Amino acid sequence: MSGDHIHAEPTGFLRKHVFSVDHKVIARQFMWFGLVWLLVGGIMAMMIRWQLAHPGSPVPLIGKLLYPRGDGSVPPDGYNTLFTMHGTIMIFLGLTPLLIGAFGNFCIPLMIGARDMIFPLLNMLSFWTVVLGGLVGFYSLFVPLGAAEGGWTAYPTLSSTIGTPGSGETLWAIAVFLIGASSIMGGINYITTIVRLRAPGMTWSKLPLTIWGMFFTAILNVLFLPVIGSAMILMVLDRSFGTSFYVPATLNQSGGGDPILYQHLFWIFGHPEVYILILPAWGIISDLLSFFARKPAFAYKVTVGAMGAVTVLSAVVYGHHMFTTGMTAMLGESFMLLTMIISVPGEILFFNWLHTLWRGNLRFTTPMLFSMGVIFVFGLGGLTGIYLATISTDIYLHDTYFVVGHFHLTMAASSLFGAFAATYFWFPKMFGKMMSEKLGKLHFWATIIPLTIVFCTMFISGYAGMPRRYYNHTDVDYLRSLQHLNVITSVAAFFLGGAQLIFAFNFIKSRWWGSKASVNPWEVGTLEWTIPSPPPHHNYDTIPTVVTGPHEYSHPALKDRDWISQSEQLPT
Amino acid sequence: MNSLLIGCTGRSRLPARAWLATLTALLALACAPSLAAQELADRWGPNAPASANGGRVDSLFWLITTMISVSFLIVLVMLIVPVLRDRARPGHKAHYDEGSSLHDKRFTAIVSVIVFLVLDASVLVMTMKDLREVVWNIPNVEKGAYQVEVLAQQWAWNFRVTGEDGKFGTPDDIVTINTLTLPMDRPAVFNVTSKDVIHSFFVPDMRVKRDANPGAINQVWFKPVVAGSYDILCAELCGYAHYQMHGTVNVLPAEAFKAWEKEAGALALTAYDSNDPEALWAWEWKE
Amino acid sequence: MTPSLLRPAMALLLLAGLAGPLSACLQHQGSLSEDDHETVNPPVEQAVGLFARAPLHVPLVITEPAKLVSPGEDFVETLAAAHPERFRKDGEHWADATGEFTWDDDEEIYWQLVPADVLTRGRQDFVQFCSSCHGLEGDGYGRSAQHLRPPPRSFKQSSFKFTKVPSDKLPNDDALVTLVRHGLGGTPMYPWAVSEERLRDIVQYIKSLSPEEEGWRDAVNEIGAVVETGADPWEGKEAQGIAAGEIAYHRNQCYGCHPAYVTAAKLNEIRGVDKTTTYAADVTYPKLKKDSSYEVLGYKVAILAPDFTWQTLRYSGNPLEAYQTIAAGIGGAGMPTWKGAMPDEDLWAIAHYVRHLTDTYKDKPARAAFMAALRAAP
Repeated sequence: MSGDHIHAEPTGFLRKHVFSVDHKVIARQFMWFGLVWLLVGGIMAMMIRWQLAHPGSPVPLIGKLLYPRGDGSVPPDGYNTLFTMHGTIMIFLGLTPLLIGAFGNFCIPLMIGARDMIFPLLNMLSFWTVVLGGLVGFYSLFVPLGAAEGGWTAYPTLSSTIGTPGSGETLWAIAVFLIGASSIMGGINYITTIVRLRAPGMTWSKLPLTIWGMFFTAILNVLFLPVIGSAMILMVLDRSFGTSFYVPATLNQSGGGDPILYQHLFWIFGHPEVYILILPAWGIISDLLSFFARKPAFAYKVTVGAMGAVTVLSAVVYGHHMFTTGMTAMLGESFMLLTMIISVPGEILFFNWLHTLWRGNLRFTTPMLFSMGVIFVFGLGGLTGIYLATISTDIYLHDTYFVVGHFHLTMAASSLFGAFAATYFWFPKMFGKMMSEKLGKLHFWATIIPLTIVFCTMFISGYAGMPRRYYNHTDVDYLRSLQHLNVITSVAAFFLGGAQLIFAFNFIKSRWWGSKASVNPWEVGTLEWTIPSPPPHHNYDTIPTVVTGPHEYSHPALKDRDWISQSEQLPT
Repeated sequence: MNSLLIGCTGRSRLPARAWLATLTALLALACAPSLAAQELADRWGPNAPASANGGRVDSLFWLITTMISVSFLIVLVMLIVPVLRDRARPGHKAHYDEGSSLHDKRFTAIVSVIVFLVLDASVLVMTMKDLREVVWNIPNVEKGAYQVEVLAQQWAWNFRVTGEDGKFGTPDDIVTINTLTLPMDRPAVFNVTSKDVIHSFFVPDMRVKRDANPGAINQVWFKPVVAGSYDILCAELCGYAHYQMHGTVNVLPAEAFKAWEKEAGALALTAYDSNDPEALWAWEWKE
Repeated sequence: MTPSLLRPAMALLLLAGLAGPLSACLQHQGSLSEDDHETVNPPVEQAVGLFARAPLHVPLVITEPAKLVSPGEDFVETLAAAHPERFRKDGEHWADATGEFTWDDDEEIYWQLVPADVLTRGRQDFVQFCSSCHGLEGDGYGRSAQHLRPPPRSFKQSSFKFTKVPSDKLPNDDALVTLVRHGLGGTPMYPWAVSEERLRDIVQYIKSLSPEEEGWRDAVNEIGAVVETGADPWEGKEAQGIAAGEIAYHRNQCYGCHPAYVTAAKLNEIRGVDKTTTYAADVTYPKLKKDSSYEVLGYKVAILAPDFTWQTLRYSGNPLEAYQTIAAGIGGAGMPTWKGAMPDEDLWAIAHYVRHLTDTYKDKPARAAFMAALRAAP
């Protein structure tokens, strides 16, 4: 195993910085990759909001560049492409690489006391496969008829050649398949590394919660990404080779398929995907809240159990995405009940987080603010899920902006806040430089305020019955009165988008011109903070022996400081 | 930073008056969302339901809103109190609590049961009642339901109703595009399907929605009780003109509807072209 | 994992990753050659019925330019005036440096050579926006066209309704663009929010769908513009216009196809015929016209002349549009070009009258009483 012996650090530029098998380099690669795609997806979101606020008017600055055949406004086909690729890019190319790729790769070996991932080459392959997936996705923007237009859910028969004859949709399916393959490779690697490479003494009950989150995510990745992979292969076969897995007999001569089959396959994957994105964030903030409250994570084992319960439940609730497709009463009611049960582990997590803060010694650093931000936005997003789990209200709210607000708060904003918290927290260890706290706090407040406005106004317009994925709502009489609400949402969204420039500036400035980070700037006890920032190629000169839990803060036995490293013995 | 967050000074304990002020503020905060919600609903909310059972959706919606508002408020209080009280400051130390005592476990278990009973079970009971009585309980034709066949396409709604004879597949079938006329106070049952891609038959004012899947027929029903005209929208992405795919339901009182049906049937007979193989489309109705 | 296992696995994966996009890209190497038509366009017998075929490998690239009848000498004249660097006088006619417009001495017309890249762009937008109803080949049999009445236009017929161009002429580009922009009421032909540039390319492509020696590929056909409207003589005295319209409508026997909106007695009075003249029982109903030239997949589609108090008018939202429709006539549908057949004043009056009928009675409770009174009268 790679933990047992030390490999020499490669010296060539390519082996060191590009085709590196070092988990820290791969983590940084994933990070840059994810951030660039977040920027692309974010610009798309801004264009979507522009179109919704001012339907059919030219997009400022970039409109004429992107849509030269017109006055620079987003055309209806371009709009469909925008929200399709916005969803796909944010989920598969932005958040997944950033949250799971970058922090999974960086934290797992360091936090469990290993020299590298157990399969370093597979790790590298995982990154380059997602790059290939990204390139295929990016290329699809330039083929005739443009990129995919079927929404990120890509329901057939709209995503069959019947609805989208261009090759963009095919390339989209291939890109998703490749990204899925990358996630599976990563998942296998994470699980095996966590099971096999823990340092001596790092028992399951001493694992930082970040690692638990990554572990559950990896399990979901390995179990459910193959499902979307197979769904995508069937879609490519339908589109390029004339099969009809998803095309019903009424539309085809070569035998009958079923478009609903795809919806089942997609959501068997799609619902766990929500948890794939949120579990690492939960794990990270469970740790960070404890670190900065200077207090043990409240009910560690219960938190782990709740995350495990959510992992299991996530596999059996997917049907709530399909209440309007005409499922039987029994199936619908079963899925509704199971979905409701998720609120129990969810509530336990909330109470554990809040209890961790209760009577702590709270240090309001930027990572702490973002962690508390997760509690806020996930609270809003999670609770509004109850409307959508309940069949009779979901039938009304399905595919309206209510759903858009809900899932953006849960899987997008919460995961993104988790990623921001993690970035501010581990940046010193990753790059050896401190990020500016002042700008970080400004970034937090400039993000959370417009973010709340953006997605809460969506709840209002959704309840009013405004359907999503409409190019122009003013075309319908009774939605026209909601237009000024749309403008409010858009203005807040532009502020939200602009606030991310603060982050970009802070990130780049700190990366190259930041002040040097000490070994343990946050005064926390997990293993990665015992080695230099950034860590050497082989991480640990000697593999540490773990004797203490990850959250022993303010222990009564500690006198001169309130923290202790996991490799130190608590004084008796 | 701390001043940025709430602007409070670093005293170790807040005096009683400050506690009182905080509590009052929180109470006001608790009232504010419901007031604001009422205000917002009046300003931007949906129209009053025009179907017999649309009100059930609304009351369930507001029940859930009330419950999650309370839940979220508890979360907010538990978030804000430590922020106000437990800031890091010289001489202040966190209370060491691993939360693994029996008392903590009992507390967690009790809260879980309460959350499940209050938040989930009550909503479940309410919605099950609605589902059994309304959503799954599709009225049949013998009991006087009005039948409508909905054939969605890119990007229009084709409707077919029987005309006066009550039978599909006869020359007096009334076929309309994007306009549907329904009798008031009579349940209307829709057989929904699609020619090409998936659409979703959405009538916001009736609080119903059902996907129109190609190759399969879905049923949905509602009973309009207020005469007037209402929008039909497509709620499932169906391509470029998805946003333009809207129609109108006109609900007429019984007498006016009879007159409409007679006239429309007569015009349908006039327009019927026996040489046109595409003139009739209809499907078997199953109960 | 041992490297010996990993390497082949890597190679396989990369191959799979590369083969997929490649196969997808290959879809677009096709052109609109005859062979492709065979695969794209199902034979007619197969296409009729409850299914259409899921298209596979839809050709999107056109390699051949199309030689079409140009919009006319005036059009080229105007173009030449605007682009002196491009056009020079060659004898009596203009020579175009780009070769787009060429004079044909035999036919005495300008031909327009639409470049392949314009057609390709038009083709791609056509596939995106139009093909679901009008068919991938523009034959009017898209997968969403089943059961659709009125059926979508087949562009192979090179004839159009509601372009506002006199029905013996082909519509010019402007008329077609205006039509797509406006949409047709009561049908799934919506007002399309497509930019002018793209719409022009789509129109060029639609014109190029004319079969050999027909439509825009036939030198005999003239291209016309939207009918001249002139000033509305009834402006400011609409009530008089409506009254005059009622007389003109019934005197010119519009009720031969459309319903009559007066009692038989009034009708006789207007026509100045014997008071005992009687009319068919269905005189207040619209009539089905089976002699239209509206063809879908080989069979004629009957057309119902609209009842202005019941049906949604396609493109007559105001008196001006109504005037244009009446004046130009509707190609292929029994509605002749009325301009010149009666005084302009009467045409305008009828336009006002028709709009008045729609505004007053369509979807209004008043209609039932109005029509019942007509039908109850002897």
